[in-house]
Amino acid sequence: MTASIGFPDSSNAPLVSSTTGSDDFRSPALPADPASRVVKLEPFNRSEALSLGVELELQLVNTHDYDLAPYAEDMLRLMAQTPLPGSVVPEMTSSMIEISTDICHSAQDVITQLSPIREALIKNADKLNIAVVGGGTHAFQQWHERRIYDKPRFRELSELYGYLSKQFTIFGQHVHIGCPDADAALLMLHRMSRYIPHFIALSASSPFVQGQDTQFDSARLNSVFAFPLSGRAPFTLSWKEFEAYFERMTRTGVVRSMKDFYWDIRPKPEFGTIEIRVFDTPLTVERAAALAGYVQSLAAWFLQEQPFEPTEDDYLVYTYNRFQACRFGLDAVYVDPASGQHMPLRDHILMTMTQLEWHSEALNATQALGELRTSVEANRNDARWLREKQGKERLLAEVVRQAALRFRGAA
Amino acid sequence: MNLTSFINDLLGFWSEWLRPSAGLPTVLWSLLLAAAAASGHLVQRYLGLPKVVGYSIVGAVVGFAGFEGAIWPLRGISLFLLELGAAVVLFEAGGRLPLRWFRHNPMVLGQSLLEATLTYFGVLWTLQLLGLPDPVANPIALMAIVASPAVLSRVIMDTRASGPVTERAMTLATLNTFYALALGYAQAGLIERAPQTLLQKLYPVAVVLGLSFVIGAILALALRTALRFMSPTSESTSILLLALIAAGAALTAHVGGSAPLAALIGGVLLKTLNPKPWAWQRQLGTAASLLTMLMFVLVSIVAAQADWTLPVASVVLAVIGVRLFAKIAGVAIANPGSGASWKQAFWVGCAMSPLSAIALLIASNFTTASPLLGTMITQVALPSILLMEVMGAVLATLAIHAVGESSVPWAPQAFSTTEDTQR
Repeated sequence: MTASIGFPDSSNAPLVSSTTGSDDFRSPALPADPASRVVKLEPFNRSEALSLGVELELQLVNTHDYDLAPYAEDMLRLMAQTPLPGSVVPEMTSSMIEISTDICHSAQDVITQLSPIREALIKNADKLNIAVVGGGTHAFQQWHERRIYDKPRFRELSELYGYLSKQFTIFGQHVHIGCPDADAALLMLHRMSRYIPHFIALSASSPFVQGQDTQFDSARLNSVFAFPLSGRAPFTLSWKEFEAYFERMTRTGVVRSMKDFYWDIRPKPEFGTIEIRVFDTPLTVERAAALAGYVQSLAAWFLQEQPFEPTEDDYLVYTYNRFQACRFGLDAVYVDPASGQHMPLRDHILMTMTQLEWHSEALNATQALGELRTSVEANRNDARWLREKQGKERLLAEVVRQAALRFRGAA
Repeated sequence: MNLTSFINDLLGFWSEWLRPSAGLPTVLWSLLLAAAAASGHLVQRYLGLPKVVGYSIVGAVVGFAGFEGAIWPLRGISLFLLELGAAVVLFEAGGRLPLRWFRHNPMVLGQSLLEATLTYFGVLWTLQLLGLPDPVANPIALMAIVASPAVLSRVIMDTRASGPVTERAMTLATLNTFYALALGYAQAGLIERAPQTLLQKLYPVAVVLGLSFVIGAILALALRTALRFMSPTSESTSILLLALIAAGAALTAHVGGSAPLAALIGGVLLKTLNPKPWAWQRQLGTAASLLTMLMFVLVSIVAAQADWTLPVASVVLAVIGVRLFAKIAGVAIANPGSGASWKQAFWVGCAMSPLSAIALLIASNFTTASPLLGTMITQVALPSILLMEVMGAVLATLAIHAVGESSVPWAPQAFSTTEDTQR
C-alpha cells in the first residue's frame, strides 16, 4: 500500500492552475463551462474484505529543547536506505513524516509491520540526533515557525490555504479497511460513523496546543474543521448516487478529486477501502495497531451480522457526539443515534467491545482489544498520560521528551 | 583661550561633574554599547546582515580611532569580561553537545577530528611556507581550529534557524573550541620552555583539562542541586546560572585553568546529569545578549589595534583561505555515513568559518606568556579574527539560507513586504 493521506499528494491534479504568483490561486483558471469541469469518479477497485492498512503521521523533534525540527528530508533519505514494509513519505511541513503499512490482515500483522519501521525510525533519528514522537499535536510548537515541505503540491496548497497549512501541523492515524464492493463500502462508512466518538476518545492524544492545555482530549480535530469539505460524508448508500454527487461537486469547480474531501471517513476507490481519519496518532505503535484491530473487528461485525441500518438521522447527533469525545475523551456523554439514549461513552465503548469479542477472536485481535479494554476500564488514554506528565514535570518540553521515550518503548 | 585649553577645561569640568558616578570610562563604554546595539539593528534592518556585523563594525571603527578602553594584550576587567562572555556562550554550547549522538553516529566525531586536524596542519604548513617560525605558526594554527560558537549562535538567533546544518555546525564548532582551548591554554604555558618529551608536552594539557574539569563539575553539581527545587523556566534560575558562571570564570582563571573550557565542560556535565530539556535560554535573554554584544565589541576594538600592512594582509588572507578550505574538506571527507548530504557537508564547513573571542583569548594567552613572540603572533592573529568575525558571520548566514534552514528571508527587514512561508 502506498497511500498518502491528509493533504493530497503531488500525483493529483493540482487545485490551482498556476504557481507563478500568490494571487493566482484566487482565480484558478477553471474551464468556463461547468459541464467541462466534470471529473468522473474512478471505479471502486477490488480489495479483500477486512484487509487493513494503517498510516501514521509522526513528529520529528530536536533533542535539545524538543521543539519540532525540520528533518523530514534527511529522515526520508536515511529511511530509503533500509528495506522495510510499507512506505515513508513527506507531509505538509518539514517536521512531519508519514509512515504506512502494506496491506495487512490483522492487528498482529499491523504491529509486525510497524515494529521494524519504528526500529528504523529510531535508529535513523539517533543518527541525526533527533527524536520521533507520536501524539496528535506537538505540545508547544508555534505554527508560524513551521516551514512548508519543498514539494510543488505542498507549495500550491500553502498558497491556497495560507496559515491554515502551517496550522495543519497536526498528526493523525488513518485506518483503511477493505470492503467487498462499492455499495458495501458506503454502507460500512455510514455504520462506522456511529463509532467516530469511540475512535476519538480511544486515540485522543492532543490536549496541548501552542503551549496551552486546551481542555480538549483531542484538540487536533478542531484544526481539521477549518478546512472546507471537512466533517461528515453525504448520506448515500449507493455508489451510483455517490458518483452522481461527486460529478455534481466537480461541476462546481470546488472539487477535482476525492482527496479534496477532508471528511472524517471517506471512500478510497483506488484501494477499494474506506479510510477513517479521526484518530490522533497514538504515543505508541502498539496502540495504533490495537486501534486498527478495533476498527477491523467492528467491520467484521458489520459485514457478518448486519447489526443495524444506518440512516440520515444518525447524523442529527453526529457533531454533538464528536464534540463530546474531543472535549471529554473517555468521560464524554454518548447519545445513541438510534434510541436517543444518553450514556457514558466509556460504557458504550466497553459494550461494543463485548459485542465484538467473537469477531476479534476470529481476527486474532483479542489481545489488541484486551489492551484497549484495560485502558478504558482504567479510564486512561494518551491524553491523560500527557496531562499526568505535565502535572508532574511542569515543563511541556520534558513531556515531549518522555513521549519520545515512550514511542521508542523506553517509558 | 585656544582649543586645547578649552578641551582640557571641558574634560576637567566633566571629570569633576562625574566624580560621584562610575567615571568617564563607564560613560564611554555605555555609549559604545548603545551605538553597537543601534548599529546591529540597522545592519540587520537595512542590509539584511547579522547583527554581529554591526557590533564588530562599531568596535573596529572605535579601535582604529585609537580608543584606549581595551589594551592588547588583554588583562584585568576587560580580560574577565571577555572570558565571562565566552563562558556564558560555551556553557550553553556545552549543554547542546550531544554526547549520545557520537555513540550513534561516530562519523560526526570523525568529521570534527578531521576538520580540526586538517585546519591545524593546513594553516601550520602554510605559515611555515611563508617563512614564519614554528613558535609563531603553531599558536596561529591552534587559533585557526576554532569556529566561534558565539558568532554562530548569534547568527542562528538572528535567522531563527534550525535544521541539520545548523545543529551540526554548532556541534562541530563546540568540539573544535574544546580542542583549541585545551591545547592553546596548555601550550601558552610552554611557549618559552620548549618541552622535549611527549610527557612534558602532554602534562600541561592534562593540568588545564583537569582544573577546568574540576571547576566545571562543581558548576554542574551546583546547578543540578538548584534545579532540584528551582524551575528551569524561572528568571531566578537564569540569574543564579549567570552568577555561578561568573564565579566559576573568576575561580578558574585564578587557579590556572581555562574559564571558557570550564564552562563548556560544566554545560556538558549538567546536561548529562540532568537530561531534561533546557528552558532557560529564553530567560537569559537580554542579560546574555548584552554580555555577548560586549564581547564582540571588545574583540573588534582589540583586533583593530593590529598593524595592517600589505605583507601581513597576504599572510592573513592565506590563513583564512586555507582554514576555510580545510574545514570544508575535513567535514566533506568524513561525510559518508554521517547522515548528511554532500551539499549539507559543504555548507557545514562554510558555517564554521567565524572566528571571535575564543581565538582572541588563545592569542592573548600566548602574547602574555611571551611578549616577544606575542608581537608576531598578534600581527597575523588579530586581523584574521577581525576579518572572520565579520566575514564569518556573513558566510554562516549565507550557509543557513542556502540550505533553507532560516525561518526568515534574507532580504533586509526594512524592504521585506511579507514573510516567506516557503522553503
